Amino acid sequence: MLGNFEYTRIRSIDEGCRALADAKEAGAVLAGGTDLLVEIRNGLKSPKLLVDCKALDDLHVLDTSPEKTTIGASVTLNRLIENRTFRGHYPALADALESIGTYQLRNRATVSGNICNGSPAADSAPVLLVLDATVHVHGVGGPRVIPIADFFAGVKRTALNPDEIVTSITLPVNAGRRTSFLKQQRIKGHDLAVVNAAGAYDPETREVRLAIGSCAPTPVLLDPIPMDVSDLAASINHAVSLVQRSVSPISDVRASAGYRNAVLPVLVTRILRELLDPGGEA
Amino acid sequence: MTHDIVFTVNGNPERASVPATMTLLDLLRDRLALTGTKEGCGIGECGACTVLLNGKPITACLMLAVEADGQAIETIEGEAVGGELSVLQQSFIDAGATQCGFCTPGMIMSAHGLLLRSPSPSHDEIVEAIAGNLCRCTGYEAIIAAIRLAADRLGGEPHDA
Ligand SMILES: Cc1cc2nc3c(=O)[nH]c(=O)nc-3n(C[C@H](O)[C@H](O)[C@H](O)COP(=O)(O)OP(=O)(O)OC[C@H]3O[C@@H](n4cnc5c(N)ncnc54)[C@H](O)[C@@H]3O)c2cc1C
Ligand code: FES
Ligand code: FES
Repeated sequence: MLGNFEYTRIRSIDEGCRALADAKEAGAVLAGGTDLLVEIRNGLKSPKLLVDCKALDDLHVLDTSPEKTTIGASVTLNRLIENRTFRGHYPALADALESIGTYQLRNRATVSGNICNGSPAADSAPVLLVLDATVHVHGVGGPRVIPIADFFAGVKRTALNPDEIVTSITLPVNAGRRTSFLKQQRIKGHDLAVVNAAGAYDPETREVRLAIGSCAPTPVLLDPIPMDVSDLAASINHAVSLVQRSVSPISDVRASAGYRNAVLPVLVTRILRELLDPGGEA
Repeated sequence: MTHDIVFTVNGNPERASVPATMTLLDLLRDRLALTGTKEGCGIGECGACTVLLNGKPITACLMLAVEADGQAIETIEGEAVGGELSVLQQSFIDAGATQCGFCTPGMIMSAHGLLLRSPSPSHDEIVEAIAGNLCRCTGYEAIIAAIRLAADRLGGEPHDA
């Protein structure tokens, strides 16, 4: 037995928002449960009501149309990872999702749950940030959209109000941009990232977007950085120093601040080399 | 408040009245006496509680019993049919892939899910499929060999060396 809560399987999104509003901050959406049930078991959370949205067909939609991709809130990580069109459009996101947990876990876990949990180490976050994802949410007052850059509010805190449910995440087309995700961790499948990072390079504007996880209270997105491909080493050094100024790693159970500070430039350099000089002398 | 649920386990229709806080693992072990599915960690890390949900491996400790409503669950007890071991079970014995046996039901359910989606898995696919199943006895090599053996016996063409 886990904790002390009631459970409701909602039949409409409005019913869910009202149930969450009535629960007055003691409600929680149950998606895959791979974060929530662990936190309940460990006594870190004690919601009084779990709101299960998985009976809503709309939230299972995965649409990879040419204009934009829609990932319904109930779509599991494995459905995305195993979808060839999705991987073709967003290889770095597919890599990031595949790095999460274990095969069994990825059959239940969702991207929405990954970001709503508000962990600074959430592995989908850096790629969603560099891809400019949009989070679609629904509350008692109706729907609204939150740009992913405004979604993370602090450790375990997001921009969601207590009555709001994420219904989907959309991604703009990724045409022409190169993307990459890297993660440093102790043991795959059984631990979160010590540092994770993503980059997206647009050869037309010659700008790179970088996002870093596990090195600040929230995942961090940097402003676009112009890259001079004729002097790659200098551009990379510049980008690394901008990254170092944007983060504030701490020591925790997984790694010391010193280790994080040492790993970060290595990951960022590898990402930039991969994006700007694929197949080059790394 | 309890919830009335209808589901199947190993093809058999089941009904239960469960509290919201009960896990699928507790439902299987404590209500249905299907104790082949093990509890190691209770938090999704060890894979000892792996069962198939609609043909896909999941950890039963991280799913609520009430979420099983309308779903098809398969457990290790469904492997042997009419007292005859499944090809996977026999391959685990023949390859010496079991020592204390605590991880074995979960390993076999993960392997079962793998062979359903990829009848002739590569070495890397086998390793990834059981990466969420911890074994503290065998060192994994015999388990990988057992899964390969089962795939071969079931007629899948091995596609790497
Ligand atoms: C063994 C193990 C290994 C793990 N490894 C990793 C890893 O490598 N990388 C990583 O990033 N994470 C990891 N995790 C954490 C977790 O599996 C992921 O964050 C997963 O994506 C969470 O998704 P979920 O659907 O299970 O979320 P849930 O547990 O269902 O929900 C998580 C939180 O988000 C809220 N929520 C969920 N959906 C919505 C919604 N639609 N609207 C509003 N709020 C919502 C819930 O109320 C809860 O607070 C691991 C967990 C375990 C147990
Ligand atoms: S008991 Fe479920 S994963 Fe360990
Ligand atoms: S055989 Fe003992 S844990 Fe695997």
